[in-house]
Amino acid sequence: MTADERDPVVLPPGLRDRVLAASRQARAAGHYVPEVAEVSPAEAFGRSADALHGLLCALREEDWREPVLRDLDVQGLVGHLIGVEYDMHRCLSGDRAVADADHVESTQPVAVRQAGRLPAQTRAEWHHSTRRTLALVSACDPDATFAVHGMRLPLGALLVARAFELWTHDNDIRIATGLPLSAPDAPTLRRMTDLAAALLPYGATRTGLRDPLSVRLVLTGPGGGTWDVAVGAGPAGPTSAGSPDPAAAGSPESACVRIVTDAVAFCRLVANRLGPDQLDLHITGDQDQAAGVLAAACALALD
Amino acid sequence: MLTRLDPVCLADWGAQRTAEHCLLAGAPVSVQVVEGTNALGPVGVPVAKGADALLAARLAAGDDHALAEIFDRLAPAVYAAALRVLGQGTAAQDVVQDVFVELWRHPGRYDPSAGTLRTFLLMLARHRAVDLVRSELRRIARQERQHRLTPWQQSPPVDEEVAAAEAASAVRAAVRLLPDGQRRVVELAYFEGLTCREVAQAAGIPEGTAKSRLRLALAKLEAVLDRQLLESS
Repeated sequence: MTADERDPVVLPPGLRDRVLAASRQARAAGHYVPEVAEVSPAEAFGRSADALHGLLCALREEDWREPVLRDLDVQGLVGHLIGVEYDMHRCLSGDRAVADADHVESTQPVAVRQAGRLPAQTRAEWHHSTRRTLALVSACDPDATFAVHGMRLPLGALLVARAFELWTHDNDIRIATGLPLSAPDAPTLRRMTDLAAALLPYGATRTGLRDPLSVRLVLTGPGGGTWDVAVGAGPAGPTSAGSPDPAAAGSPESACVRIVTDAVAFCRLVANRLGPDQLDLHITGDQDQAAGVLAAACALALD
Repeated sequence: MLTRLDPVCLADWGAQRTAEHCLLAGAPVSVQVVEGTNALGPVGVPVAKGADALLAARLAAGDDHALAEIFDRLAPAVYAAALRVLGQGTAAQDVVQDVFVELWRHPGRYDPSAGTLRTFLLMLARHRAVDLVRSELRRIARQERQHRLTPWQQSPPVDEEVAAAEAASAVRAAVRLLPDGQRRVVELAYFEGLTCREVAQAAGIPEGTAKSRLRLALAKLEAVLDRQLLESS
């Protein structure tokens, strides 16, 4: 007999509904507690840039020569990021030529140009370019949509995607130079997880998920949260994580999968720095369908 | 609704995307795995150690399905614990509600390393039930005094009367366990609403003795009620 079987008490009718309704009234579903302060997308970008700048300032001279990504060493990667900022400047200034520019090809000349420069010069140029991005952002319509490197996103989403990129490359450099990995601060991470959840249906489209599937994505730790995302039936985006009953989480036509994992690790998955087999995953529902969702998450980061 | 993005713009973006663009990061890098541990350090940290810790992590992340799962598993035990203190009725249901709302609002107050979720919830239920009994005891005493001072008073709502009766029955049962002298002063002070001086006069004892007996009686009452709750867990 288990401990719970010692309590053969029958609950009064309606008590379950009443308690769950009162709970949801007291605290809305979906949001992490203790509550994480909200920061603007520009602030999230600025924080990621500051964190990377701090890392670059701490690197030794020889660290800049370490190979990191593709054929780039650390200095070349920072050069790539300078190129991305320059394209952002053009994008924010209304130049449509960068809308469909290739993320790598477009920035490669700036990356290559760093060879032979002093690391401090590269660092200063990149830092200045991020400040310039923020200055341009402050003059933009926050509700406007911008297109750069094949992405067409609202300004806020674009800045969070850029924060995501800076953090990811920050950790690329840390790996290359033997430094411990970093995690974004909770408010910035919350922006990133929100964006990743919102984009999950597009990753599913990309990987060819066909069957409608209701996904409950639970990302644990500060900066995490809970999202209900419909995938496999076109990009519908995430919906409320407060359905009245677990059984009602999915429609009769769609299967249900719940994925629970750490928020930072999930962002590394989305950045394609981790495989699903490297995450501590807790999956409820069809394992194959869950694997399809995780593959969709990985597909959000492509080069 | 947790979406913060404009779905129209995202749809446009989705339609435009080709397979060769980076969205959230640069190109994938290889990940070195050293002796079974992930070179990425924090990645290897599990979401939670144990089923209860996982549920707590899900609660903190705002997963209301986790709350429903916990309710289905543990609400009968919580309700039973409340019933043992308060008797049948709405008061025990209120305790169940308070316990689960508290867990949902402040999941961080449960420390999985300190014990099971079941133990934590039963402890919450016990404390809440004892608080309810004590507050009802005070309310009954106030009401008794009010009745003595006021010639006519509007009756309280029926549900309050029922809850009060349930709590009062638990308290009266505990009072019956007191020694005669202490039981008498409690009855005079709380059920008949007498002041300490009046209790002393009615019982034929010095006022100081009445006070000390009241203090002793209240301490014993709390101990008895707590013991009942512990036994019920």
